[in-house]
Amino acid sequence: MKRDKPFTGGRVAASKGMAFSKSPVLAVRLPDWRSRVMLIVLFAAFAALGLRALWLQGMSTQFLQKQGKSRYERTLELPATRGKIMDRNGQVLASSLPVKAVWAIPEDVLASPPEKLTELARLLEMPEAEMRKKLDSDRTFVYLKRQVEMDVIAKIDKLKINGLDTRKEYKRFYPQGEVMTHMVGFTSVEDVGQEGMELAQQKSLVGVPGSRRVIKDRLGRIVEDLGFSKAPHDGKDLTLSVDSKLQYIAFTSIKNAVEKFNAKAGAALVLDVHTGEVLALANYPTYNPNDRSKLTGEQLRNRVITDVYEPGSIIKPMTVALALETKRVTPNTVFDTGAGRIVIGGHAIRDSHPKPMLTTSGIIQKSSNVGVVKISQLIPPQEMWELYTKLGFGQAPRFGFPGPAAGRVRPWKSWRPVEYANMAFGHGLSVSLLQMARSYMIFARNGDMIPLSFVKVDEEPAGQQIISPKTAAQVRTMLESVVSPEGTASRAQVAGYRVGGKTGTAQKIVNGRYSQTSYVGSFVGIAPMSKPRFVIAVMVDDPKGAVHTGGGVAAPTFADLAANALRAVNVPPDSSITDIIIPETPLEESL
Amino acid sequence: MSNKLNIVLAAGLIACGLTLVNARYQARHLFIELERLQQTSRQLDIDWAQLQLDQSTLGKNERIEQIARTNLNMTPLTPARTQYLTTGGAR
Repeated sequence: MKRDKPFTGGRVAASKGMAFSKSPVLAVRLPDWRSRVMLIVLFAAFAALGLRALWLQGMSTQFLQKQGKSRYERTLELPATRGKIMDRNGQVLASSLPVKAVWAIPEDVLASPPEKLTELARLLEMPEAEMRKKLDSDRTFVYLKRQVEMDVIAKIDKLKINGLDTRKEYKRFYPQGEVMTHMVGFTSVEDVGQEGMELAQQKSLVGVPGSRRVIKDRLGRIVEDLGFSKAPHDGKDLTLSVDSKLQYIAFTSIKNAVEKFNAKAGAALVLDVHTGEVLALANYPTYNPNDRSKLTGEQLRNRVITDVYEPGSIIKPMTVALALETKRVTPNTVFDTGAGRIVIGGHAIRDSHPKPMLTTSGIIQKSSNVGVVKISQLIPPQEMWELYTKLGFGQAPRFGFPGPAAGRVRPWKSWRPVEYANMAFGHGLSVSLLQMARSYMIFARNGDMIPLSFVKVDEEPAGQQIISPKTAAQVRTMLESVVSPEGTASRAQVAGYRVGGKTGTAQKIVNGRYSQTSYVGSFVGIAPMSKPRFVIAVMVDDPKGAVHTGGGVAAPTFADLAANALRAVNVPPDSSITDIIIPETPLEESL
Repeated sequence: MSNKLNIVLAAGLIACGLTLVNARYQARHLFIELERLQQTSRQLDIDWAQLQLDQSTLGKNERIEQIARTNLNMTPLTPARTQYLTTGGAR
């Protein structure tokens, strides 16, 4: 163990020994590579940390921030209400109020005490058996009842049933009920318009719900607003042209008429002569929009707009107006209506009350078929067709109301002579009551035609001249003579007011043939005559009483409607006649 | 000299910090108040809609006519028993 050469320098551990640190045994010989490896490892660890930091900071920042936000931010749903519908005077016709839908987790609800469930069924106004049937389901979410009003919800909340919850929604209320429903329409549970103006104006009425992000504190109070993620938009309110008072008058008149004349249905329309606004649109039978559980198609039908019928004699003034306008006749031109019979293309056309000679005015007053056929023979079919087209017959009107009927007017080239003759007194073509009433605007105004509107308009629309003011005035005089004891519409007289109009009776087409027992009686009138304010159209479908003609069923309905409507809007009387003379056997128009 | 400046600056900093805390506190309170009032406003809107609806329901022409006829014994007006007065007096 002895070493030959002692170490020099270095610490000496013992005087006689070698320096401790110099001991070759203890001398650690580290290989050079180890320190280098260590250095690299350390460096790599730092690099990994750096990369990780870079990754968190640079690459996945968004994800992490989102995760962070979701831990303290809340998103609130912001509901939007559907716009209200109002009449022209601001009376509410349809409005949405918040209600709640009651839903359940069946398993949890069924576990609660039976007496609570009985009470719940009572509050929801449904038989308990039915409610249990709904709960007997594998699903974890079951609607028990939708559109439950808030006061009921408050009572349900007090029961504290486990697994029962509510969801906010809106319910539409229609305070005017069945009177206004054909105008306003209604919405589904999902707030989507189904009929009438609710359907037509769905886009502007509907509200768009939004949402906003907030930070809430421990007490659930919102402490900071982080802005909208989507701004809510309430639906726009809609002001209709309809006048609640006139609508009620029209509805009552038509309802009474349908009951009195034992008719299948009836419809009435009141138009504002100056603005083309629809002031009233009534149908009977009708329905209550607040309770639609027993709704039938017959009740839903809007006969003014979607139903077409053959207008009958109502169209005669159009033929006469065209003849006057083209100077082919004057009001005093005399026609030989002979024995009240004329044969065209092998078909006989008859008058029910033959008069040997009639002037143009007389033809309208007595509603002579023969006379009007004779006038129509002076007019080429093409001109007649052009007038019908200008008046909007045969085209679906576009006034922003759903489902308008176009009616039917065949192209003039295909008219056979007998068909043309029939058309002159309103057979062989079909129109809706709306189209018919609108065409009478040319007489009520000074020969021009304006578009109709179902929403309130502020200024008078520009008209399109169709006949001259002179012709319009001449036809107005004739229409007034119809509503006199000598005319076919003696029952349309209104005490205190001068009114004018024309009756129409058409046989209904049953199984492709003209029926001898089913008729449509109609009347379109203008009131008051001195300064026209309203065009009023009335239609009574299939009256089954002693009278069935337009003069018999529709004219008195018009009189009733017009009298009340004129009084309701404070139109000063323009006639001193307050006693109405109706002949014992009033003149009826021919079929 | 620089010591004094540091003290003044530190005091200023603390004061700023405290006012910030206070401002935040105030802001939150005002915000909560705003929220509460907005909630009230929404509720009032709903009440308004409800009242309009009630008005329309109670002011229904049908109901008015019914009450006028049965409770008040009123009858419809006829021109036969109406006296019309023209403006400008009797002529």
